[in-house]
Amino acid sequence: MRRLGGEVWFGLILLALCSAVAVLAPVLAPYDPRAFSGQPLERPSRAHPLGTNDVGQDILSELIYGARVSLTVALAAGAGTVLLGLLVGGMAGYAGGWLDQALMRLVDGMLSLPRLPLLILFATFLGSGLPQTIAVISFLFWPTTARVVRAQVQSVRQRGYVRMARQFGASHPYVFLRHILPAIGPLIAYGLVTSAGHAVAMEAGLAFLGLGDPLVKSWGLMMRFALNLPGIFLTDRWLWWLLPPALCVTLLILALALIGIGLEQNLNPRLARRWR
Amino acid sequence: MGVGRRAFVYLLTFWVILTLNFLLPRLLPGDPLAALLDPSSSDYVYDPEVRAALAAYYGLDRPLPEQYGRYLLGILTGDLGRSIRLNRPVAELVVGHLPWTLLLVGTALLFSSALALLTGTESAWRRGSWADRGLVSASILLANVPVYFAGMMLLLLFGARLRWLPLAGGRTPFARYPSALAAALDIGRHLILPALTLTLAMLGAKFLLVRNATVNVLGEDFMLVARAKGLPEGRLKWGHALRNALLPFVAHLAAHAGMAVTGAVFIETLFSYPGMGRLIFESVTARDYPVIQGAFLVVSAVVLTANFLADLINLRLDPRLREGGAVG
Repeated sequence: MRRLGGEVWFGLILLALCSAVAVLAPVLAPYDPRAFSGQPLERPSRAHPLGTNDVGQDILSELIYGARVSLTVALAAGAGTVLLGLLVGGMAGYAGGWLDQALMRLVDGMLSLPRLPLLILFATFLGSGLPQTIAVISFLFWPTTARVVRAQVQSVRQRGYVRMARQFGASHPYVFLRHILPAIGPLIAYGLVTSAGHAVAMEAGLAFLGLGDPLVKSWGLMMRFALNLPGIFLTDRWLWWLLPPALCVTLLILALALIGIGLEQNLNPRLARRWR
Repeated sequence: MGVGRRAFVYLLTFWVILTLNFLLPRLLPGDPLAALLDPSSSDYVYDPEVRAALAAYYGLDRPLPEQYGRYLLGILTGDLGRSIRLNRPVAELVVGHLPWTLLLVGTALLFSSALALLTGTESAWRRGSWADRGLVSASILLANVPVYFAGMMLLLLFGARLRWLPLAGGRTPFARYPSALAAALDIGRHLILPALTLTLAMLGAKFLLVRNATVNVLGEDFMLVARAKGLPEGRLKWGHALRNALLPFVAHLAAHAGMAVTGAVFIETLFSYPGMGRLIFESVTARDYPVIQGAFLVVSAVVLTANFLADLINLRLDPRLREGGAVG
């Protein structure tokens, strides 16, 4: 490992902070986010540091519990994307031949599909629950990972020690798990972080468009409700209702992106030189 | 891949999209009318006789292959169904909304490309300087900030605080323009904020692309030769470095067009801009399925067409991509 740059540390600290808030939500939140703990649309006060929303729920508590939603999406959709990408890309790169050709044509086709319109269509007809959203995001984003994984597996497969292992009679699953997987480990970490970032952005975006899980108050859904209030920009209500969730989503996406950039530079030292 | 094969791949992709659009609503269990009406919608019909009549009217009682044939035929003749909410043909709604999106996306693509080419080349030329470092950091930030966040900030600053620009809409409601110029000015004023947001959203990724491509070109032998010939600085920078960096830039135009359309959907929702994104948002809110589907088809077609055009430009610019050449 090369030394990590300042921006990576910034990203890691932000991510750790967000995770801590998510884990400690019941301790940190002053109220149950679903409880009607005040009058509707209260201004910030000692009792409600960020005021209350249009039905009288405490905004700060909603914000704290929202971290759980975004991190769940990041983790689940990130893992789903990487697993699918690893499966298809690994198989294509390792097997080669016609299977490789067929799988890569599939990847090309999937990459040319317009993602956001498809996400909207799927969310409309398959329902907009959190599990469905996670599944659809994973399904639409795996091809990018598959392509990188395939290229790397192809190169690792040709290396001396891997061919040697095969010569000594190691089985395919053994070679894949013992030699190929560790060699592409850093790539998987990079894929996980970047797809987690995309997933957070997409989930918040869908909720922003009104296609979020109505039962799970995510940061995106908070923005939606705030924007549904007529004239939110004409008073200073946006300052404590709209801005905090928007800022939280942005910071989480930024944190994941910065960690990704750091990992990418570790993968490809030539890139690091290019940034200097 | 030649032009013919590329065209075939895009047609195939569009066919997949058409079929998904047909199948998804019909995969829902039970109710054939579910393709038209959400059970939670206020327009939902409960009377079984009316439901059967409606299903027959829309041809939903026919066998699937026949429905599929009718659906494809309808699309070919420009029939995208009828909006439940507005009781108007979807095609008519699309014709009313699409020009706004094309205006927004086109303006943003133009400005972000021009700015990225200028600043990217300059930045690569002075790589390592504080200006370059600053621009790179700013671009990484811009490329990763969600577009709705950037839009909100601009809306708050210029629309709500300073009140320099209108908060929402594509033109002044009910305005009667004395001349075409007055109309253009009004539409332009409404365009500034959404277009600025989309330009900024795309600038980050584009700038990084141009800068990296130019840095790579600067290391090439022909740059050394050109310098040794004693060519003036300007010729080197714009005639040699930028010109060769244009290739990867154009190669990514297709991806950027998709990005721009995605951004436009959010921006139009935020600014109530009367384009396709706004249409999608309003139909999602009202669960107006035929409109969502029609808008989905049109937006997909726009993105695929943009990709195809970008491919054609690439083929013209880069002889290595033509027959027999390696792609990639």
